[in-house]
Amino acid sequence: MTIQPADFDLAAGLLQWGKAMLSVISIFLGVALVAAVTASGKKGLFTVLDGLIRTVRDFASLSPRRVLAISRLTFKEAVRRKALLVFVVFAVLFMFASWFLTGESHRPGAQMKVYVTFVLTAVSWLVLPVMLLLSCWGLPEDIRLRSLHTVVTKPVRRNEVVLGRILGFSAVGTLILVVMSVTGFVWVQRQVSDETDLTCRVPVYGELSFLDRLGVPTEKGVNVGDIIETRSFIEGGTNATAIWKFPIASQPDELRLESRFEAFRTWKGDMEQTLRVQFSLVNEATGLKVPLPNTVNIAEFSTNEVIVNKTLTYKDNITGKDVTVDVYQDLTTDGTLQIHVQCLDRNQYLGMSQGDFFIRLADRSFATGYFKAVAGIWLLIMLVVILSVTASCFVKGPVASLLVFSLIIIGQFFHPFMAKILNENPEEKLKGGGTFESIYRLVRHMNETTALPEGFLTNTIKAVDGALVNCLWLVQHIIPDLSTFKMAPYVASGFDIPWNGSMLPAIVITLGYVIPCLLIGYFSLSLRELEAK
Amino acid sequence: MSNETEAVIQIRNLSKVYRDFWGRKKVQALKSLSLDIHKGEVFGLLGPNGSGKTTTMKLLLGLLFATEGEIKILGKPASDVSKNERIGYLPEESYLYRFLNAEETLDFYGRLFDIPAAERRKRTDDLIKMVDLDHARRRQLKEYSKGMTRRIGLAQALINNPDLVLLDEPTSGLDPLGTRDMKNLIRKLRDEGKTVVMCSHLLADVQDICDRIAILHAGELKVLGSVEELLKKENSTQILTSKLSPEAVNDVKAVLEKHNATIESIDHPTSSLEDLFHRTVERSIERPGERFVPSGEPKNEPAEETAEAEST
Repeated sequence: MTIQPADFDLAAGLLQWGKAMLSVISIFLGVALVAAVTASGKKGLFTVLDGLIRTVRDFASLSPRRVLAISRLTFKEAVRRKALLVFVVFAVLFMFASWFLTGESHRPGAQMKVYVTFVLTAVSWLVLPVMLLLSCWGLPEDIRLRSLHTVVTKPVRRNEVVLGRILGFSAVGTLILVVMSVTGFVWVQRQVSDETDLTCRVPVYGELSFLDRLGVPTEKGVNVGDIIETRSFIEGGTNATAIWKFPIASQPDELRLESRFEAFRTWKGDMEQTLRVQFSLVNEATGLKVPLPNTVNIAEFSTNEVIVNKTLTYKDNITGKDVTVDVYQDLTTDGTLQIHVQCLDRNQYLGMSQGDFFIRLADRSFATGYFKAVAGIWLLIMLVVILSVTASCFVKGPVASLLVFSLIIIGQFFHPFMAKILNENPEEKLKGGGTFESIYRLVRHMNETTALPEGFLTNTIKAVDGALVNCLWLVQHIIPDLSTFKMAPYVASGFDIPWNGSMLPAIVITLGYVIPCLLIGYFSLSLRELEAK
Repeated sequence: MSNETEAVIQIRNLSKVYRDFWGRKKVQALKSLSLDIHKGEVFGLLGPNGSGKTTTMKLLLGLLFATEGEIKILGKPASDVSKNERIGYLPEESYLYRFLNAEETLDFYGRLFDIPAAERRKRTDDLIKMVDLDHARRRQLKEYSKGMTRRIGLAQALINNPDLVLLDEPTSGLDPLGTRDMKNLIRKLRDEGKTVVMCSHLLADVQDICDRIAILHAGELKVLGSVEELLKKENSTQILTSKLSPEAVNDVKAVLEKHNATIESIDHPTSSLEDLFHRTVERSIERPGERFVPSGEPKNEPAEETAEAEST
């Protein structure tokens, strides 16, 4: 798990949203115009214009009362069709879960992780399929049984039908989620013997850089032979140093530094002896370096905590006198505190990645983190409901279910793959060109670095590949990145869910789908004959 | 009666072609239909199955789109949703939400018209009583008989006190008593100045209540006019008198022959089976256990004995 999420760039997100919306609307309008003009000539232009005016009018005169009436109906429908039977499955799961999940040999933190992961996974796996099926089948059933005829022959706009359905199913999903998550919360608290295991740490992560054994700045530390290099190592007893730069936003009386480093021993030594580590606070501007009074013995595979007081006293090497400094005034430059980490044991290595060392702010209650993760599931349910209702406006229940299920799978797992194809990751630049260029190279036995011959064919191939990439770009931006909604690992690992890195993008993604889906649903219902034979 | 100056529905050259998925023509359901329906009249759309009457109804409601032609309802095009504010629609079969009960059904449709809560409750109560479903107001519609479903369907069509009521086969599935109530209700709607458009296979019902009719066949308009004018036999005369003696009948015959009139039949007129049915049920309610003799007074023997006598 990445504990260091990138901050969400709201402005860039909105810009991308705007571009994707514009692209879809342009394509839709273009197709509509061509179809209308082909079918009816000049009159087609007026038909499209009339349709646009009607759309604006329908959205302007949207009635909250009618929307509410349809959502109430949807809620009643789901309840009376026994959707709430899902609670029975949930209850059965929880009656026997502790038999299988409790392992006495586990450490308390790991046990808590198992419980929290189980609860949040069970809740989302039960609620999501139920909501997907309910909202994919609702409208098509209404159309099949012609109940919708009695609604649309009243002064009800099609957008009110779509919005009412979305809100109704959302209310059902919310009810199920609230009951399940509260039950799950109580269950976790009852399972965990020690309340202190239920933590919700608020970390402040820093930027990590290294000095090598000679004290020269370097990008990475030493690789001790890992194929997948998650941690870089610094060599003990040398000048090798890991340098963290932490942003300091508040000035508490004491700073809690929490670390979880990995040791790599080149000689056995005393296995009972932990590695000794020296932390130093450095003012980059003045060059003042204040080592923490005591070296720290780092225990492997467990969390180590160091408390740094606001004022520190150290012995000046030149004068030999004790000097007292203030951490925030004397050691902080431009709101950044630099901490150097060195391993003192010769020929032993200390491994670390960015998330292994952080300043721990005041903890939040476990309930805060837990219900933030529940909010993540709720946002995902909303998104699934929005997509399902939209799909059900133009295809029948089974097809809509399949369509939304595919979107969920692609959204959950295939975004990195699409980014790779689109060459968005500079570290994984694809060679050999696009689809048609690759086929051409295969047929002509050309390797991926050989330049293509100049000419019409190459230009055509590149143009077609370019168009395909644009289509893929559109698909990538249309299908939501659902990995953003996965917040349970934070809580299970005892961390708070970051607002800017996780909650905000999930909220923005969900909201971003409301308007386009409402438009698609509206046009799908408006342009089709509900009574078509 | 009909007001010739105000057309509530105007249909001009209306055509509808049903196409398959590939856009190929499957069937032409309507061919260049043009007609006006005026305010305050009860208008009947007649025709055999597949003649296009239900298609016309659905085109009026915007459930289907016209291939050609123009429709104006209450001065607005069929695609304008706001026209539905003043329309009540009873579909051919009751497609209501079966998981709702009668009260909830009317409340739901009332909400769709933005009717305030107090008014909605009042109308719900009144309509439930009007369609005689007070005893079943809390039962889900899935437990209703076909007749009950038709009646709650009618109630939902009237929840907004509409100016124009479209009824698709309003009497289908109703027993004779229900049919009579429905016909009385349609007459009442007409008396209140509302326009009623209905399509039905039951010609006797249409004849009873419609002011004007249109007969469609294979999507084409074949006959349009007032029921009275269309059914009047201009070359015959009917005189209805009290019962005549054989001598009196002979005298009448002689007079008629003197005027060169041809007598087609002389007989006792019969009442309709519907009348007989209603009178029988009403008497049965008034005097339970007695057998009803249509021509006169009830027999004074118990019903069981009568049945026994008949079987021997």
